[in-house]
Amino acid sequence: MTPPLLRVEKLEVVYHHVITAVQGISLEVPEGSIVALLGTNGAGKTTTLRAISGFLGVDDARVTEGSIEYRGHRIENLPPHRITSRGITLVPERSKVFENLTVVENIEAVVPRPGADARKLAEAVWEYFPVLARLRDREAGYLSGGERQMLAIGSALACAPELLLVDELSQGLAPLIVEELLHRLQAIRKDLGMTLLLVEQNAAVALDVADYAYVMENGRIVLDGTPEKLRSHQDIREFYLGTGAGSGARRSYRDVKQYRRSRRWYG
Amino acid sequence: MQLAVNIAVLAAIYALVSCGYVLIYRTSRVLNLAHGELMMLGAYGLFTTASLFAGYPLLAIATSALLALIVGVLVYVLLMRHMAGEAVLAAVLTTIALGILLRGTIILFWTAQAQHPIRALGLTNQSIAIGDAKISAVGLTLIVVTACVYAGLYAFLRYTAWGIRMRAAGQNPLLAAQRGIGLHRIYALAWGLATFTAGLAGMLVACDSALDQTMATIGLKAFPAALVGGLDSLLGALLGSLIVSASEVLIIYYVDPLLSEVVPFIVLLAMLVVRPWGLLGTREELDRV
Repeated sequence: MTPPLLRVEKLEVVYHHVITAVQGISLEVPEGSIVALLGTNGAGKTTTLRAISGFLGVDDARVTEGSIEYRGHRIENLPPHRITSRGITLVPERSKVFENLTVVENIEAVVPRPGADARKLAEAVWEYFPVLARLRDREAGYLSGGERQMLAIGSALACAPELLLVDELSQGLAPLIVEELLHRLQAIRKDLGMTLLLVEQNAAVALDVADYAYVMENGRIVLDGTPEKLRSHQDIREFYLGTGAGSGARRSYRDVKQYRRSRRWYG
Repeated sequence: MQLAVNIAVLAAIYALVSCGYVLIYRTSRVLNLAHGELMMLGAYGLFTTASLFAGYPLLAIATSALLALIVGVLVYVLLMRHMAGEAVLAAVLTTIALGILLRGTIILFWTAQAQHPIRALGLTNQSIAIGDAKISAVGLTLIVVTACVYAGLYAFLRYTAWGIRMRAAGQNPLLAAQRGIGLHRIYALAWGLATFTAGLAGMLVACDSALDQTMATIGLKAFPAALVGGLDSLLGALLGSLIVSASEVLIIYYVDPLLSEVVPFIVLLAMLVVRPWGLLGTREELDRV
């Protein structure tokens, strides 16, 4: 059996020496797959992504236990730009683009993985996102939300990633745009042979494209499986997809009794 | 006419010095208050290389300019790099300490006596007549060098990959690191370029008049020029230099020469009261300081 592209083992992340945000999670991302990491606000998804992409230091957080292996090499102590040059690139959730730079400068600013052909990558970005090609000389701060997300993905692609981490693709975007972006990502992944790790609150969107998914709550992984398995799971249907038995409508988290009960189960 | 020439030369000096403040501030959000001392160090560097390579003035100038670049990179690598992740105030205080240290060290090595590097180079500073006004050869060189430096910096920041990366890192260092840009390399480059331009200014000013401890004051007087323009804008620094030098020269001429040391700071205070983010600066940038 070949080892997975990315393997996270019993990872624990602590903020400010006291707050444990991630409590010993393990997950695997096999090469060429799309893996989704689901969960609500504060579940520890973004912290996990930050640990993988080397960004814990800025928030005074540290990996205290466990390991992150990429192609069999430990990467949890590398600085962020070295992780990018190994082939892992993050599409962050906020401040996705350099706002005072033009679209084309946003693409030109990146330092691609050693050995990658920067010019060819830039050409590919224009091909995948013709809208951006038309807006080449516009300052990125003036782009719409959807265009900005495209540019964020485009500039991440220009880094020539093997593993693309996408944080909250759907945040603040209209459902139609999200769907289009996801399908384009799927196509790009197939063309370039990339691997994707999606972090999402919006489970419905992520389960549509993922090969495998993990569900996080309170810093732990509480469920994992194929999208088919998760879709049929009672709690996923209730809390993440809003298609719980009988109700028809999406349930609110204010339905505290139900929520607490499930918390107790997963504790 | 003579007034206009004087303003142009003084503006060129201030502009050449203040672009260093702007480069470092807009890339790393650090105010380098040792800039004047680094400028002075560049001038003393020229004084030393001039006697080392007596008879080869061009070689002496090139060597000391290169040395200035290396000193800038070293200041970052040995000192400022360790301030990464600390409060900006700590970094600024470090530059103040560095400035005082440099001033003391310079007296130890070169004594406090006034030096004349242009004589050591074996050159003379002739004056050239433009209409009924006169400009010194070095003064004219200053204007030309400043124009070249600004054109070069503009082209570098706009058209080269590393220049674009420098702007990107200044705007959003986190995202820049995520996009594979090594921040230490960028900051070291900014410090190198800033000290290089300061060194050029120091050498030229030392050749135009004399070289002693008061040169650091010129560096400090260029700071208002950078701030009036708005600290993160090169064009602003150019504009600020013109405003400060024009007010300085005119007040020296019409009011009292003794005011020359005071004028830039009066302009600075007036600007801070009316428009604290400068003429062309970004308003939000200053909120963070």
